[in-house]
Amino acid sequence: MQTRWDIGEPEKPTINIETEQLKSELLTLNMGPQHPATHGVLRIEIWTDSEIVAHAIPHLGYLHRCMEKHSENLDFRGVIPFVDRLDYLASMSMEWTYVAAVEKMLGTEVPRRAELLRILTAELQRIGSHLMAFGTYALDLGAFSPFLYAFEEREKILRLFEEVSGARLLYNYIWVGGVWNDWTTEQLSRVSTFCDTMEEEAKKYHELVSLNKIFVQRTANVGVYSLQDCLDYGASGPVLRGSGLNWDLRKNVPYSLYPEFDFDVPVGTGELGQVGDCWNRYYVRMREVVESIKIIRQVLTKLEPGPVMGKVPKIIKLPKGEIYLRHECPRGELAFHLVSEGDAKQPYRLKVKSPCFTHVSMLPRVAPGQMIADFVATVGSIDIVLGEVDR
Amino acid sequence: MSTAVQDTNSFKEYFRGLFNGISTTVKGMWITFRYVWAVKPVSIEYPEVREVLPERARMRLFNDAQNCISCTQCAMACPVDCIYIASEKLPEGTEIKKTSNGQAIRLKLTQFTIDTALCCYCGLCTTVCPTECLTHSHDYEFSQYTIDGMKYDYLAADVIAWRDRIVKA
Repeated sequence: MQTRWDIGEPEKPTINIETEQLKSELLTLNMGPQHPATHGVLRIEIWTDSEIVAHAIPHLGYLHRCMEKHSENLDFRGVIPFVDRLDYLASMSMEWTYVAAVEKMLGTEVPRRAELLRILTAELQRIGSHLMAFGTYALDLGAFSPFLYAFEEREKILRLFEEVSGARLLYNYIWVGGVWNDWTTEQLSRVSTFCDTMEEEAKKYHELVSLNKIFVQRTANVGVYSLQDCLDYGASGPVLRGSGLNWDLRKNVPYSLYPEFDFDVPVGTGELGQVGDCWNRYYVRMREVVESIKIIRQVLTKLEPGPVMGKVPKIIKLPKGEIYLRHECPRGELAFHLVSEGDAKQPYRLKVKSPCFTHVSMLPRVAPGQMIADFVATVGSIDIVLGEVDR
Repeated sequence: MSTAVQDTNSFKEYFRGLFNGISTTVKGMWITFRYVWAVKPVSIEYPEVREVLPERARMRLFNDAQNCISCTQCAMACPVDCIYIASEKLPEGTEIKKTSNGQAIRLKLTQFTIDTALCCYCGLCTTVCPTECLTHSHDYEFSQYTIDGMKYDYLAADVIAWRDRIVKA
């Protein structure tokens, strides 16, 4: 494995006996659980040799809420608020994945307008989530103002979601059979203006952060995941694409109405460093924002008036069987394994396959040999949300 | 080894990197500096200035006890079981009242308490309510000194007195 730091052969001690008896050992340092750079409550135990990380062990479970077990005692509609709390920065995508799994087992037909609105919300949510990733990543590396610019734009998305669903973070908006509320024409026109401003803002972000020499020096060639590593660990989303594989479920395993849309999948090319370094992962996210804007513009042209809720029985009872359904969420492939006992009001088992969990498990692979500051940059670049890791 | 380390070894690359560093930093500084005069502030000074909440905003729950028919559908829909309802049979011969949308009230509501500390504001209870008496109000400032204070009894006289202020139009 390539490292920036090479200790070489240790020098032979030639001084007096007293120094010879001095021994050196690794210092254990706890990063987190209240460390601001760990994006939540992740505790990473790192063994350091002065400023070089020798080993990193992520400790999980500080945000564990028994969501999977708890959902076994809830009806299928009642699970949605809990699914929201998985990845609280991309609740719409979480809801959509769960709801799609239930719908597929139930055999519900979703009205076209509802499906388009789901794509609209999911893509807006992707922009919001990537803006958060952008802002906090710059914050991790010591730049404060990009965080404020990102939140200024994210606020517009949250306001739209608040108007349409009633909440700013945990929406409970996408329901089995459709969506809760319809968007008004005024709100849709605001989405269109948002797309225009967001494109301008994205250019500003590139000037402000992406191409900044200090930022590039901090991120390029740091925390390199080779493509083989990513495939071995099962990475997905921007981490996998940053390592150079063109893999997006929206294109490769199309679901919903995505085949109707024309968009590109950004892949890391290693312009300023190596493929798979922090800068590439960051840059893939920023380019995905632009692709999402493309999709939103197409949704706005395709939207036609119609119902937003399909026919769903009052009490949802799923037939016996199981389903494993995955969607492309802002952080990677989220999947639900839903098992039903047959004619039951509650899920028998609901297993969540979370992309962030995979990405956290990849940290020890890249940590040895890094400086502590570079390790912070690596943790920030994989963009984890601990609500999804611990569930 | 990494290219960045090799670059600094070259004399020409060193000065190119230096120039690049200064120019991109100045560019970023300029973007931030423009905010001094060119961009209006987006934040609001909260206690003095308050944002107008959207129509559908989901804040504290409010039950209009006069229209409640004690059907307990809200309590069953609640994913966190934070709604406590108790009711008893009306004594015989009592006149059966009707709710505002014409449903008969056949049970006497004796308790309707919501633990707002437990509530997750998902809105599932309001969608199943047949008489639409359970709604989300726009009241979001209700911090309490004790956790018991978060339990709201909607049959209490003071809460009923608030009705006009809390119920949406």
